[in-house]
Amino acid sequence: MATLNSSLAGTARRETAGPPLTALLALVGGHALLLSFVLLWWETTEVAPLAWRTSLYLATLLAALGLARLATWIAEHPAGRLARFLPAALTMILTLLAAEALLRAHQVPAGLIPTPTAVLTVLWQARDVLLQDTWQTFVMEAVIGFLIGVGVALPVSGLIARSGFLQRGLMPYAAAFSSIPIPALAPVFVHMFGLDWQSKAAVVAVTVFFPVVVNVVRGLLEIDPRLLDLMRSYAASDREVFTKARIPNALPFFFNALKLGTTLAMIGAIVGEFFGATGTGLGFRIQIEAGRFGFDIVWAAIIVASTLGIAWFGLVAWLERRFTSWHVSLRE
Amino acid sequence: MRARLGNLGPMAAVAGIVVLLYLPLVVVTNYPLAQRALERGAVMDCDGPLACAFVLRNPVIPAPGQLLAGIYNLMLPLNSPNAIPLNAFWTGVETLVGLGLAALVGLLFALGLVLSRAFELSVLPWIVASQTVPIIALAPMLVVLLGQYGVQGLLPKAIIAAYIAFFPVTIGLAKGLRSPDSLALDLMRTYRATTVQTFVKLRLPASLPYLFTAFRISTAAALIGAIIAEMSTISFFGLGKMLSENARASDVVGTWVLMIASAVLGILLVACVGWVERLVTPWRR
Repeated sequence: MATLNSSLAGTARRETAGPPLTALLALVGGHALLLSFVLLWWETTEVAPLAWRTSLYLATLLAALGLARLATWIAEHPAGRLARFLPAALTMILTLLAAEALLRAHQVPAGLIPTPTAVLTVLWQARDVLLQDTWQTFVMEAVIGFLIGVGVALPVSGLIARSGFLQRGLMPYAAAFSSIPIPALAPVFVHMFGLDWQSKAAVVAVTVFFPVVVNVVRGLLEIDPRLLDLMRSYAASDREVFTKARIPNALPFFFNALKLGTTLAMIGAIVGEFFGATGTGLGFRIQIEAGRFGFDIVWAAIIVASTLGIAWFGLVAWLERRFTSWHVSLRE
Repeated sequence: MRARLGNLGPMAAVAGIVVLLYLPLVVVTNYPLAQRALERGAVMDCDGPLACAFVLRNPVIPAPGQLLAGIYNLMLPLNSPNAIPLNAFWTGVETLVGLGLAALVGLLFALGLVLSRAFELSVLPWIVASQTVPIIALAPMLVVLLGQYGVQGLLPKAIIAAYIAFFPVTIGLAKGLRSPDSLALDLMRTYRATTVQTFVKLRLPASLPYLFTAFRISTAAALIGAIIAEMSTISFFGLGKMLSENARASDVVGTWVLMIASAVLGILLVACVGWVERLVTPWRR
């Protein structure tokens, strides 16, 4: 790797010294034009003249080309993690700025597509309501359901892994159960457990349960036979084989299922609320507001749900790195 | 995981145990309800709370007889617009059309990812991040939005199914396009194949198994998308329409039957994708 890097750096030094200047100019110029239009048109409620609209599209194109050139340059050069993330960050900024400028230029009604600033404003104004929704959806439904699902799935997978009968009798069902669509589950559970958070937590628990069982059982069973032989030659007891060989072997599978489970839990909680809620919850908010064209709140709720989803996923990924740092896929 | 012949015995045994446990569960959950209904003097065609537990209009868990009657009522006549078969068929079609769309758009994105490092650096982090996002939350809004621009009928549902299936498909295709080993690539070079030829004859076929793995993962998600899309708008067909109608009418037996029907549809669709995979990649057997 080191030799590759230095050879790349060598070719780079021969070509150019710094990042391509024209690309930077295009990038900054395009953004500047978009930004100045947004500021200029802040109070205006008319459709911008054709000249402005054309130049906005051109500015977006220019900035995108500059960004592509800059990203190519970064890709060809050795760079730190921060620099590697720069193109992605710039893409996001350009997308938001272009959306803001173009939506304002065409005066697209807020009831159809709200501008990014309008969404941020609403996110701030409705923070109390959204915080309440978040508590209901994320903490009471997604997290509690997730913990119940995982908590039940672990002992069950241990049992299944120990019994050949259960493996052959239950696992085909578990695979089939994973393909039940969540929205079909939700009405049944809402009727069984009531409108409040319990029903959604139950939906989440069931949807998280099956992937965890399927993956953990695979992890407990798909073990290198040489490892089992080694354990036997150490005269390890059954219990020791289980705790020292099978469980560590299952950990990467387990974390994979957990990562999948975080997404499923968020989807389960949100979709569950589409079928009945007590008046709070991100899914409830999304459905109600989408029905009356309050898309700014819908977007704000989606931003909240996405941020939480990504943070949760990140937490599980961090735990994975901590507990399975010895695994091949993470060693470097 | 495919059911093998040796599994049938244990599978049947487990199914038997579940059926045996189901009856006591029905009694335990419905008995208090039946008792309360009788105390309130409800007129029911049964004597004693135990018998009434099996014929409640609003059971917690429907009795086997009720379920069978519900299945009979909702499945027949086969071609009725209010019965399950036709609606399930349309939902299935939406899901499959969505998967096809996802494959098309996913191929474009995967090409971008494979051909340009710059594209990968700028876009891939967002594609990965969006995997962890409850994208389904966008569905109600997308339906309304697409309706505003005159996209109606089957297409908006397929678009949303595609939208949800798109990410696994993109990642899978990008992985698959990169999967041919250097020996095969060298061979193509010795044949003096052009880039396009290498692409069509080597990279594309090599990516098919990855594409179908992604399909199997995203079929269930696409089905969820199609159902939610049907619920979020005025639709005239589909399991989502039936689900929301039944949930609104709080027809308990109906929601159970629909749950079973959707599960069967999900399993059938995954099987269908597997069947197409065997058809398209015969060399993998």
